[in-house]
Amino acid sequence: MWKAVKDREAGVLLPSSFASRIRSHRVASFDLSNHKEIVSPHNGAINSLQVDLTEARYLLSGASDGSAAVYDIQHATDYERGLIAKHRSLFVVDKQHSHGHRYAISTVIWYPVDTGLFITGSFDHYIKVWDTNTTQVVMDFKMPGKVYRTAMSSIATTHMLIAAGSTDVQVRLCDIASGAFTHTLSGHRDGVMSLEWSTSSEWILVTGGCDGAIRFWDIRRAGCFRILDQSRSQLGRRPPLAESTSKKGSVTGQSSSVKTAVSQRRIPLGNETKQLRTLRKSQILTRGPVVQRLHPGLSSSHNRATAHYGAVTGLRATGDGMYLLSSGSDSRLRLWDIDSGCNTLVNYEAMRLQPTKALQLAVTQDSSLVFVPCMATVKAYDVWSGMTCRTFRGHYELVNCCCFSSQYQELYSGSNDRQILVWSPPNPIIAEMEDGRGGLVSVADQDNWSD
Amino acid sequence: MAAESSRSFGKKRVRDEESILDKGDADRTLGLENNLTFSDTLIALQMMRAQFPNIEKVAMQPFILRSQLYSSVKDRTQVDRDLESLKKEKVLRLFKLNTGQDDHAIMFLDDYLKQCALLSCGAEVKDKHVTFLISAGLLNRQLIDPNMYWFTIPNIGSILKGLSQGRKELLSFLNRRKFKEMLLAPLEKKQLRFSPLDMRFHLRDLIGSGHLKTVRTPTGLLVRVSKD
Repeated sequence: MWKAVKDREAGVLLPSSFASRIRSHRVASFDLSNHKEIVSPHNGAINSLQVDLTEARYLLSGASDGSAAVYDIQHATDYERGLIAKHRSLFVVDKQHSHGHRYAISTVIWYPVDTGLFITGSFDHYIKVWDTNTTQVVMDFKMPGKVYRTAMSSIATTHMLIAAGSTDVQVRLCDIASGAFTHTLSGHRDGVMSLEWSTSSEWILVTGGCDGAIRFWDIRRAGCFRILDQSRSQLGRRPPLAESTSKKGSVTGQSSSVKTAVSQRRIPLGNETKQLRTLRKSQILTRGPVVQRLHPGLSSSHNRATAHYGAVTGLRATGDGMYLLSSGSDSRLRLWDIDSGCNTLVNYEAMRLQPTKALQLAVTQDSSLVFVPCMATVKAYDVWSGMTCRTFRGHYELVNCCCFSSQYQELYSGSNDRQILVWSPPNPIIAEMEDGRGGLVSVADQDNWSD
Repeated sequence: MAAESSRSFGKKRVRDEESILDKGDADRTLGLENNLTFSDTLIALQMMRAQFPNIEKVAMQPFILRSQLYSSVKDRTQVDRDLESLKKEKVLRLFKLNTGQDDHAIMFLDDYLKQCALLSCGAEVKDKHVTFLISAGLLNRQLIDPNMYWFTIPNIGSILKGLSQGRKELLSFLNRRKFKEMLLAPLEKKQLRFSPLDMRFHLRDLIGSGHLKTVRTPTGLLVRVSKD
């Protein structure tokens, strides 16, 4: 470590690589935190966690008993035995609140600009916008089905839209400024369990549905412009530009809509309209043969390409906006290259994911590790090789959500056992104390002069 | 001297015969313990295809499950990529099975062609072609949408049933034991009552899909039911 400091001083090592080296070293030594604890006031399973995006100081959690709470994760409320910091909630809003949710809260997010507002979505079909300081509901939106996931874009400068996915097949965008629904995105065949705004563009929304499809929507125009298909694959990272232009001829258009279990047979684009006509005939409402004109750049709504064999339960885009991780109820985690829309075929070792609930994945800032809640543990996988780096066992029941704070390199996980656990690099002073030295003066503070 | 040399010559010949015999029975006698992992996907596929059990009742060409491949080759990402490139080269065909999550069967193209007595390679698909293929056992209606079909392997039904029953039987056998584990060597010799496929097939499959895990012990490999 000191050699690295000297190298930085001499200019051999770049300051940014010095910082990333320290961060990855800290992340590699993760364990159940021995100096920090969060005291959870919830009486139900914790469904959603988020650390605020502006200062990374406040943690928001939502639970199945209809309660949402905020904790200050940097300053503890009290200390146990003088060493272990206990973080109690700053406030809790629950069913007793006059405008609180009536059923389970499935998703909580901070307003991305500052911590003055937060948004909760619940199974009682409502999305409520709360004022943090007065803990009052400022606005609410009624959705047609149970709300599974809400998301707001952290890079948006021109809009304040909340994207909401529910059991209804349509994704709705709610506007805080006007209090109304601005967009309705249709295309999914079943409920939408996971949503993410793109990290590179404020207009692009990615949704994953219970039908197994992942769709990309540009909210400035109608329809989705890309559907991820698991049979379209590329081997690893895309080759640099010079090589790929020579291969352009071999890549054909959309995948065929006739499902072959054998796969890899591409029907040329010329036959597409004929197939659309035959597919239309099979629908229950016979409208007669209608040829659907496809606008350039739009995906047909008949495109049944699936990204997973079951429902898509979790989505997470990497920080640089180039790759997307998706988890499905078929217990698979897939890594997609966003620009080419291909499956990179990275196989994440055998994992069992809970099939019925939406999961919250977390990625480290340099996109090297992905944290996945697998049954009662949280597993950390290397993003490109798919090997299991660490398994974090600590919860007593199924883990639902995990959130990584890149500023302080800590992982928070919430589970059905009503607890939020903190995973962080060990504090060396406390580790020494626990070794049995006793006494209140830590070794690091003692003077060590030689006479 | 002559007697001694003739005796040693005799011994050598016997040993040579033994070694030839060994290579012939390599698949059956060496057992799973020494044969568990391979270095290359294609080699693993070919070895497992050679080890496919011989079923008397149904004429079945060998197929390999994807989970078996995962338990045999260390790097799973490499396996996926190799399978993808082999598919593109038309050496293999992949079939999605309905026995549980994410089950795929891999078959060599020549075996698949042998399994189907006749093949149609027509450009236009007409109804009478479709009914012909369904009666030949190659195509199956997809219940959700009358215009989409599944490709099937003829005579696969009883084997798939045996596959899922065999898995359940093996897992319940291990779960009933006191510590939910057993050494690989005696476990391999047991016979499964409900499945025509042999124990080695099921072991590879369950290890690859994560239901069982292997632990190295001084007395050999131990197979244990994995908890999560």
